[in-house]
Amino acid sequence: MGKYIAFRLLAAVPLLFAIAVVTFLISVAMEARGSIAGQVCGEGATPECIATVTAELGLDDPIPTRFARWLGDVASGDLGTSLLNENTEVSALIGERIWPTLSIVGFSLLIGITVGMLLGIAAAIRPGGLVDRLISVIAAGVIAAPGFIIGMLLSWGFAVELGWLDPVGYVPLGESFTGWLKSITLPSVALALPTLAIVQRQLRSSMANALLSRYVLAARARGVSRPSLIGRHALPNAMIPTVTVIGFRAASAIGLTTAVEIVFGVRGMGEMLVTAIVGRNVTVLQGGMLVIGLVVVVVNLAVDVSYGFLNPKVRLSR
Amino acid sequence: MSAPVAAPAVSPRRRFWRRMFRNPLAVFAMGWFVILIISWVWPELIATHDPFSQDVMLQRLFETPSGDHWLGTDQFGRDHYSRVIHGAGFAFRSILIAMSIAVGLGVPIGLYSGWRGGRTDRAIMWINDVFFSLPIVLLAMAVVIILSPSLTSAMIGVGIAMSTRFVRLTRAVTLAEKEELYVDAARITGISTRRILSRYIAPNLLPSLVIQAAIISGAIILIGATLSFLGVGANLDDPDWGVMLNRSQAVFRQEGVWQIVPPALALVLTVLAFNLLGDAIRDALGRDASDNALSVTKRVAVKPAETPHKAGADIVLSIRDMDIEFPGQKGQVSQILQGVSLEIGPGETLGVVGESGSGKSMTMLSALGLTPAPGQMTRGSVFFCGRDVTDLAEAEWRRIRGKEIGVIFQEPIAVLNPAIKVGTQIAEPLRIHLGMSRRAARNRAAELLAEVRVPDPLRRLDQYPHEFSGGMAQRVGIAMALACEPKLLIADEPSTALDVTVQGQILDLMAEVQQRRQTAIILITHDLGVIAEAADRVLVMYGGQVVETASTHDVFAHPQHPYSRALLDTMPQSHDGAGELPIIAGMVPSASDWPPGCRFASRCEFANDECHASMPALTTHASGDLVRCLRASELDLGMGVGVKS
Repeated sequence: MGKYIAFRLLAAVPLLFAIAVVTFLISVAMEARGSIAGQVCGEGATPECIATVTAELGLDDPIPTRFARWLGDVASGDLGTSLLNENTEVSALIGERIWPTLSIVGFSLLIGITVGMLLGIAAAIRPGGLVDRLISVIAAGVIAAPGFIIGMLLSWGFAVELGWLDPVGYVPLGESFTGWLKSITLPSVALALPTLAIVQRQLRSSMANALLSRYVLAARARGVSRPSLIGRHALPNAMIPTVTVIGFRAASAIGLTTAVEIVFGVRGMGEMLVTAIVGRNVTVLQGGMLVIGLVVVVVNLAVDVSYGFLNPKVRLSR
Repeated sequence: MSAPVAAPAVSPRRRFWRRMFRNPLAVFAMGWFVILIISWVWPELIATHDPFSQDVMLQRLFETPSGDHWLGTDQFGRDHYSRVIHGAGFAFRSILIAMSIAVGLGVPIGLYSGWRGGRTDRAIMWINDVFFSLPIVLLAMAVVIILSPSLTSAMIGVGIAMSTRFVRLTRAVTLAEKEELYVDAARITGISTRRILSRYIAPNLLPSLVIQAAIISGAIILIGATLSFLGVGANLDDPDWGVMLNRSQAVFRQEGVWQIVPPALALVLTVLAFNLLGDAIRDALGRDASDNALSVTKRVAVKPAETPHKAGADIVLSIRDMDIEFPGQKGQVSQILQGVSLEIGPGETLGVVGESGSGKSMTMLSALGLTPAPGQMTRGSVFFCGRDVTDLAEAEWRRIRGKEIGVIFQEPIAVLNPAIKVGTQIAEPLRIHLGMSRRAARNRAAELLAEVRVPDPLRRLDQYPHEFSGGMAQRVGIAMALACEPKLLIADEPSTALDVTVQGQILDLMAEVQQRRQTAIILITHDLGVIAEAADRVLVMYGGQVVETASTHDVFAHPQHPYSRALLDTMPQSHDGAGELPIIAGMVPSASDWPPGCRFASRCEFANDECHASMPALTTHASGDLVRCLRASELDLGMGVGVKS
């Protein structure tokens, strides 16, 4: 297993590099449209200003030189400064904004995966039964609803009408644990509902397949009890495709959390990215992309490691 | 005039649409699209107001539905209903832009990658996977910042991101089709690549592409709305659903939740309609067999056997007049087994033979109370060691299965759980039925493996099924079946999947165990060679019925049923080596339309008109054997093996 994990870690390096290339290309493309220096100098930019900024940022250098310089900076943790405010270090900005986002995404995955798995198993036990049909209808509806709409409804119901939780704002974990948990509950649930539905649907169908397999039939012929057939025989095999789906959903949840954060007035990565795009503040966007890319790589690693646990064939090869 | 009327042939296209219109969810989705398309092409037809006209007097803001404003008004007094109608155009434009990029980019790349294969394929797929793993919203944002915020740039970004899905799909189909023989043949005959791709690959790609496109259209709308909601998509005055939600977001806490409802409903219903459409197309094309095979069936009362049935404890298993039925299409019922009876005593080996589809395995599963759903036993009775088990509850059955009755299956690897260590699986019946501790069960499992001659049993216990060869896996299967020393062993083609030398070893092993423990063995096989070697008595099955039962000697020496005779003729041993090995011409009729007469008549060289008209009963023949043939007494089917004329 150790060897397998080491191998997966090594395979993540080129993936990170590729993400860095894509991120770097954004600034190349923007500059090809003459946007970067113009953005810094603002409207009615003088040619002198453009020339100074271009020289300062080294935008005249050949692309490979710039990429090497940029990659060196990034590797040492320097993501540059905001184009619109030289005093703002992008890494410091992200260091501040990443925690609300990670809290919400992490908590939402926790809820989505556990509840989704439970409901998936519940539905697979009696396909076509009342529980299955009920869950399926709700899941189909939830999958069609984006997290930010669910978020608005939750905010209206639980914050405005019932007054149980605050409608907006984020309390850092360092300040108060219960405050933090309360502040991320609604956004996490909003983001978790589609996750839950996706996990439920996948697990239901792969459980149904596993329950139809020869090895489950053979286990029944040995007198294995129903709970054991479901939990020990079918579930580990049904989890293999489910883990893949969870990985994809985790990555897309990181993107979709932006909108949920806006609904709940959480100043996380989402708001930072939107402001950066509107202000065409490319260094901030690049920093955000790199960090989110890193998170995606970590998620992929986690998925690979779970494969290893679930599938002895994967674990023992390599 | 009772000749069956042939069902009119239905073209696949018509069948597709018929299925679509019979599916209520598909009808809902298609109806919703009709409304959307009208809203897109001619919004003025159904909109009641100008979507941009504001209430300058600021009197009628944030209204709830009324006769004048069917879905109320927004913060500028604009009519929600008309704005939602006009929003359909934005949704369709989004799909058009993103989808044409996604398909236009993804399909050619996928085709190229799959067709070229090798290193090119790996490189392309690696790059594709990098983009595939990044959040779509983020990729779209990158494009938006380069091109400046607008719905078009957002959709270009979404299109690029979505193209990765089409690359994967197209490549997978291309790779699979490339391996097909007809594509190979086309390549050898020198047909150009372009022609092969368009003539052979594209038609197979199209259905998957359409299904995928429907579902991705839903995703495009969802992500487009998210980007517009964030303010980096459509213009903030446009009647785009995402923009409307952005506006509602700022005010719903003060002005009421109704402000969200009209655009949210339009968005969710549209995404839902696309998802339902994708599912419906998949179902109508008959892809992806639905999960219904596990669906629950209502238990019906089992009709008793025709003659009163009671078997003493000296008979291990006794089945009388068993019918198994499966619900077919349109309320019809397929009778898979009809009136099957068998009996077996301790230490005896009963061979069950027949071609595939004759009902051998179904008989075995039903004897264990494991009739696969939705099939069920509708008539007959089953006694096991003097106990009536016909209607036994599942919990009671569990105590018999694995303990009193062991089963050896046909595919030794497939019946082992790939995720569980072999030792744990062998120990399972010991722990369940004998209540052994983990350690004791493990020790016993090692002994069992040694008994079935698996070398190095202790090391083998900790291995997984994929580390076993077929022969070794079947030994594990035998060890598991025998773990609790059952009174009855049912072996379903135990040696078929194995090579000849291993086959013999497995059969010897079973015989050895039988001698030691007086185990009754039901040996199911289509191989008469195996029967000749191992069975005391033979049950010949055809079309879900027993057609002959006799001692092994009798069946081989003078078969009474033409089907038994035909089976013997197909044995390599009965063949003198000149010419081709005979086969039984024709096929087993399907259970959904059994012929009215003898089920073998259509393939029988001795059949006359009466054979086709009425079903023969299983009758006792002069020798005391049971035969189901109208002409059994008049036919002389000659000598058995080795003396073929």
